[in-house]
Amino acid sequence: MESIIATRNMRVGLEAGDWREAIRLAGGVLEESGSITREYTESMVTAVEELGPYIVIMPGFAIAHAAPSPAVLREDLALVTLAHPVSFGSPNDPVELILCVACVDRESHVRALQAVAEVLCGDGVMERLAKASDVEELARILSGE
Amino acid sequence: MGEIKIQAVCGFGCGSSLFLRIKIDNVLSAHGLKARTFCGDVGTCCSADCDVIFISAELGERIKDRAKVPIVIINNFMDDKEVSEKVLAYFDTLK
Repeated sequence: MESIIATRNMRVGLEAGDWREAIRLAGGVLEESGSITREYTESMVTAVEELGPYIVIMPGFAIAHAAPSPAVLREDLALVTLAHPVSFGSPNDPVELILCVACVDRESHVRALQAVAEVLCGDGVMERLAKASDVEELARILSGE
Repeated sequence: MGEIKIQAVCGFGCGSSLFLRIKIDNVLSAHGLKARTFCGDVGTCCSADCDVIFISAELGERIKDRAKVPIVIINNFMDDKEVSEKVLAYFDTLK
């Protein structure tokens, strides 16, 4: 079964000094995949600067995203775990797992994101993802194993 | 009263609000409640037609003076208990 997030869009144990770097690393994954431009990554950083750390929607987990724009070349998702958790200034700090969402509009990515959300909502899934030692393990957890 | 319209709001209406909307939908179906749910962004949510807005604490602060409908603050979008209690509490206010 194909993973709901492409394994090429997963990274484990990235080193980020702060939340900005963490978002840029997560965005960088989708830049490498050719799904977004650097501009979208920067707009994800700006979003937190302007709107606050609301993207940390649950303990340990941030969903980095920005408004749909031409800087998104195709809808895509990336998932990265951090070697050392970073603080966003949120009650749900510290963050060790970042899901990066590139959306071209409000609807087309909904099914993929919904599948991810349903997995993440499972008991203990967040903790297992954060502790995963490699991309293959992330993929296995996401596929429900 | 017609169909209840619940708006789940995040910064852009395409990311975290979707997680929240899924959680709300789960609560509605688990309790046999009928409502239409949709996602909105913090910039335009106050002018979108709805009966209640579900939103994070940080963003809720931004709209609390502008919103014309009740605002329900959700601290942890993935906390089934919190979302469930707050959805049910909102429906209690309609009785």
